[in-house]
Amino acid sequence: MYVITREGLRDLLESLQDEHALFGPVHHEVSGEVLFDRVDDPARIDIDAPIPFNPPKFAFFPQFGRILRYTYDRRTKDLRMEKEPLGEAKALVGIRSCDLAGLLCLDRFYLGQEFVDEFYLEHRKRTFIVSASCVRPFAQCFCVCTDSGPCPREGYDLNLTLLDDSYLVEPGSQKGAEVAARLNMPEADPGLVSERDRRIDRSISLFDELARENKAWISRVVNRITTGFVSEDVWEYIGSQCFECGACAFVCPTCSCFNIEDANTLAGSTDRVRTWDSCSFEGYTRMAGDHNPRKPVEDRRNKRFFCKLSFSQSKKYLRPGCVGCGRCARICPGDIGLPNVVACIRREITGRE
Amino acid sequence: MSGNGEVIVTVPEAAVVEEITEEIEDVRTFYFRFEDPDRERDFRIRSGQFVMCTVFGAGEFAVSLPFSPEDDRRHISVRRAGKVTGALHQLEPGDKIGIRGPFGNGFPFEEIRGRNVIYIAGGIGLIPLRSSIVHLLQHRSAYGRIILLYGSRSAKELMYRYMIDTWRETEGFETHFAIDRAEPGWTGDVGFVHTLIPKAKVPVDNSVAFVCGPPTMFNAVIRELTSNGMKDDVIISTLERHMKCGIGKCQHCAIGRTLVCTDGPVYTYRQIKTLGEHI
Repeated sequence: MYVITREGLRDLLESLQDEHALFGPVHHEVSGEVLFDRVDDPARIDIDAPIPFNPPKFAFFPQFGRILRYTYDRRTKDLRMEKEPLGEAKALVGIRSCDLAGLLCLDRFYLGQEFVDEFYLEHRKRTFIVSASCVRPFAQCFCVCTDSGPCPREGYDLNLTLLDDSYLVEPGSQKGAEVAARLNMPEADPGLVSERDRRIDRSISLFDELARENKAWISRVVNRITTGFVSEDVWEYIGSQCFECGACAFVCPTCSCFNIEDANTLAGSTDRVRTWDSCSFEGYTRMAGDHNPRKPVEDRRNKRFFCKLSFSQSKKYLRPGCVGCGRCARICPGDIGLPNVVACIRREITGRE
Repeated sequence: MSGNGEVIVTVPEAAVVEEITEEIEDVRTFYFRFEDPDRERDFRIRSGQFVMCTVFGAGEFAVSLPFSPEDDRRHISVRRAGKVTGALHQLEPGDKIGIRGPFGNGFPFEEIRGRNVIYIAGGIGLIPLRSSIVHLLQHRSAYGRIILLYGSRSAKELMYRYMIDTWRETEGFETHFAIDRAEPGWTGDVGFVHTLIPKAKVPVDNSVAFVCGPPTMFNAVIRELTSNGMKDDVIISTLERHMKCGIGKCQHCAIGRTLVCTDGPVYTYRQIKTLGEHI
C-alpha cells in the first residue's frame, strides 16, 4: 500500500489522462451540484466531493448512443450499414463504493450471461478505475444495508481513502500496481492502514437512522419479494405514489434497461439509437396492436423492486440489485425510493406478526 | 473481462424480399433470401425460434419463424399492427430487410417423440406453430396421432389454408376447424376453438398440446385441456412480447423472473403458471 499527497493525486490524474478519457466528480459551475462527468481539466475533479447526483454508468451505457447508421435507397435498393466505432480508453476517478458495486452488477449482467452485449463490452474493455472509500456517509446513503460500502472490496485498479491531508492508496489489480510503481508512490507505513480501518468503522457508525433501521430488514424483504409474499395492497399503495417519471431508473447505478429506436435524419440516413428506458413507463411492455400485458402502474412498480431485491435477479448480479446509493430516494417525487419501499414492506410484516 | 457467453453482433444481415403473398386481411407473407451467399447457405434455425427483423427507415421488430428447418424457402408472416409492421407491408419484392438471429429456445421435439401431438391455434397463432407442424409431418412415423384444431373469427381469417390442404395429404393428419359465427358455405364447426377439444376426442394419455393464440382463447383452451386431465407440463405454448434486443439485455420481454427472448419463447404451461405475471 502507498500514501500520496494531494499533489500526488494530481500527478496520478494527469498521468491517467495521457492515455485515457477522464471521468470524475465535478461541481457544476452554476448550481454547484456534484455530477459525475467527463472532464478535460483534471483540476476540476474533486474526489472528496459528496456522492454525485448521477451514477457513472453513462460512461459505458450512454443515455443516448448511436449503435448503427444506415442508408437505404428504396429506388436503387442500395443499402449501406455502418457500425458505430467505439471503445476509447477511459479512466473513472473517484467512484464511490456503491457506484463501483453498481458497475460490477452491470458487468455481470451485460457480459456474464448467455450472450455478451458487444456495445457494453466495447465501451468497458479499456477502463482504469480509481475508487474512493467513503470516510463519511451522506444523508441519502444506505450501502451498509446492501453490503456495498462504505469501502470498496473489489473491481478497482486503485482505491483511495482520505486520511487528513493524504490518501492511502490500495492497488486492486496488476494495472493499478504498475501505475503506482511508475509514479513512484511512497509506501504507507502499517499505522496508516489501521488508521484507514478506524475511519471506515467510524463512517459505518455515522449512517442515517433509516439506513440503520433498515439494515436488518433488507434480507427479510428480499425473501418476501422473491417468494411473492408481499400483499397486493402494499404494491397498490406504492403504485399510487408513483408518478411514472422514470427518474429512479435513470439515477440508479444498476438499472440497465434500454430502448432501441431507428431515427431518420434530415440527411437521408437513419440512426439506430439505444436509449435508457424505464419499466415504470406504460409503453415499456406495450406491443404492436396495443396489447399491454403489464399495464397497471402497481404491476410496473412491483417489477422494478423485484429487479432490485429478488433473489432471482441477484443471481445475475451475484449480489442484490440495489447498491444503497440512495439516489432513487433523493429524486423520487412520490417518496417511494427503495428505502421507503423496504419500510412499507417491513410495516406490513410487523403489522401481521 | 467477459464470461463464456457468445458476443452477439447487433448489425442486421441484409436480406432481399423475393416474394410477397397476401394471406388474410392485414397479414402478408414475405419470402426472403440473404444477400450474403454464405449466410444464405449457413443460416440454421430450430423450430420455434424467432428473429429480429429490420424494416430500413422504420425500425426493428421481433417475429416468430413460421418456416421449418426442412423448408427450402424462408419466410415470415406478419400482421400489420403498428409502425414498423405497417412499413413492412409497404415493401415490394426486391426491397431489402435486415435479419438478426435466430434467437430463443425452440420446440422440445426430442422430448415428445412417440406421443400424440395436438395443435390448437387461434387466428394468427397458427404462424409460430406452422414450423413445428411441418417438422412433425416430415417425421410422421416418429409420432402418434397428429391433430390440428384451428379456429378464427371467420373463414376468411384462417391462416395458411392452402398449406393445411397440402398437409392433409399426409396420412393421419387430423384437422378440425371452427369459426365464431355461422357463414354460408362453411362446413366446419361454429364456436370457439376450445369447443373442438371434446368433439375431436383429443387423447389425453401420452399426448402433448401446442397452444397458441390470443390470451382469451389461450385461457379457454387451457381450462378445457386441464379439466380433461392433461398435465401442465405437456401443454406447450410460445409467447410474444415487445422486444428490442433479442439477447436478454434490454429487458422489455421480462415476465416475472424469465426473459422471453433467451428463456423462451417456448414455455410449458407449468412454467407459465410460475412466471407470476399475466401472459
